[in-house]
Amino acid sequence: MLVRLILFRILESLPTILGVVTLVFFLLHLVPGDPVDALLGETALAADKEALRKAMHLDEPLFSQYTQYISGLTQGDWGKSIINQRDIWTLITERLPATAQLAATSLLLAIFLALPLGMIAARFQGKAQDTAAMTFSLLGVSIPNFWLGPMLMLVFSVFLGWLPVSGMDASGSIILPTIAMGTALAAVLSRMARASWLESMQSDAIRTARAMGVSESTLWWKHSARMTAIPVVTMFALQMGAVLGGAVITETVFDWPGLGLLTIEAIQRRDYPLVQGCVLIIALFYVLTNLLADLLNLWLDPRQAMTIIMDTA
Amino acid sequence: MQSVNGHAVDLHQVLSGSTSTHWLGTDALGRDILSRLAEGIGLSFSVAVSVITVCAMIGISVGMLAAWLGGWVDSVLMRFVDIVLSFPGILLAIALAAVLGPGVENLIFALAAVGWVGFARLTRAQVLSLRHAPYIEAAIASGQNTIHIATKHLLPNIAAPLLIEASFGLAAVMIGEAGLSFLGIGIQPPDASLGTMIREGSQLMLVAPMQVFYPGLMLFLLVMSANIAGDALRDYWDVRSKR
Repeated sequence: MLVRLILFRILESLPTILGVVTLVFFLLHLVPGDPVDALLGETALAADKEALRKAMHLDEPLFSQYTQYISGLTQGDWGKSIINQRDIWTLITERLPATAQLAATSLLLAIFLALPLGMIAARFQGKAQDTAAMTFSLLGVSIPNFWLGPMLMLVFSVFLGWLPVSGMDASGSIILPTIAMGTALAAVLSRMARASWLESMQSDAIRTARAMGVSESTLWWKHSARMTAIPVVTMFALQMGAVLGGAVITETVFDWPGLGLLTIEAIQRRDYPLVQGCVLIIALFYVLTNLLADLLNLWLDPRQAMTIIMDTA
Repeated sequence: MQSVNGHAVDLHQVLSGSTSTHWLGTDALGRDILSRLAEGIGLSFSVAVSVITVCAMIGISVGMLAAWLGGWVDSVLMRFVDIVLSFPGILLAIALAAVLGPGVENLIFALAAVGWVGFARLTRAQVLSLRHAPYIEAAIASGQNTIHIATKHLLPNIAAPLLIEASFGLAAVMIGEAGLSFLGIGIQPPDASLGTMIREGSQLMLVAPMQVFYPGLMLFLLVMSANIAGDALRDYWDVRSKR
């Protein structure tokens, strides 16, 4: 039954994926402005403009362009970059590992900071430790990563000389971008972890376990931790969007050669098919992360699976 | 604060430190940093308020329509909301702003295009919870028209969570606007935006570190103030947290 439910969830995400593809296509095609003018300039020769328009299939009806785009995607053809005529999928896969590496280290940093902080804040609710943890959370969500990045560079690279300023070739070059990208995520997750831990510790299950003589440490580490994990996993998946969107800015600040920097380079060169490809791949990752979080929640909380089965029966 | 013109270029005063005329010094074109900060804060705030106003108007209308009419209207509107929510908001705003081109109006459009969905979802949930409240049923039974019910009965009763959303939204939009300006696709020079000032300051970090420090600090304080206001409003209206 659980396998069928997982398959159902996967199938359910297909219309969302189609919707995302459609929205990306129409957003970049319906907004005012002619990409040919943007590329060649308004003073270019009419013949040159026409040739480029034909090469980009912009002379065809919009719906025809859309069906061609969808048909190309289903066959693995993401189109070609206008600037260097390289396959967009190849360009994306070349940059993907760098972004994946940065996203993974940022998420790990966020988890290792947020969960203990959330727990300490909940354990010492209303005391100095709670205030300190929640102050960190407030500062973390308020600090823009495109300012935190230069500040970290200034202190750790320029003044102290401990870490490289930018790029990804030197050893330790991942540390500063990780801190810049992971701080806000840690701040949001620690707040969510605190709230979840407090709520779970007030639940009937924990009250009963406490009445049965279960030790406080077992209550915190074994029983409450599992209950806390469910909303934290959901929030974690939701924050993936912020992480991936934030990658565009963080990678620009640190000259980190990932998908985010590729997106900005494509924007600066007005390479719209490449912009479209980059936005689409990041959005698809986001949809898949949410799907994974849904599935993980079903595993963590079998009651959710039962509710869905009862509703769909 | 703006007794000195923030646009006045003075090439004899390039990157000067703190003086009696220029309290926070000058930038690479000799313009007064304090005046530019004041202008940047004003611009950031006015863009943020405009975006939140547009988002609230669209989101509240869509949310109310979906909840009130239900059926296929609700399904279609909410599926669209789900799809927009499937994107990392800042990424969609970056793509839109890049295609639309620089300018304040385009920036407001790009940020509003991704920001309204939060209001729509929240409004729909709130209206659904009030849809069958006795006073709403009474208003319907007394023959009041739908717009009157929406504006006089529903809106005042869902205002609290919407104000909380607006406060946190203000913080997010201020970061979003500065982020787009930092990337060069938002507010353009010579207009002062905190984002463009951070970008210009980053390029001078080795010779004049305060050029990046001041605008970032201002943005950080602005965003933190909006977040604190959001927290305070939530604590004030959240019954559970008072128990």
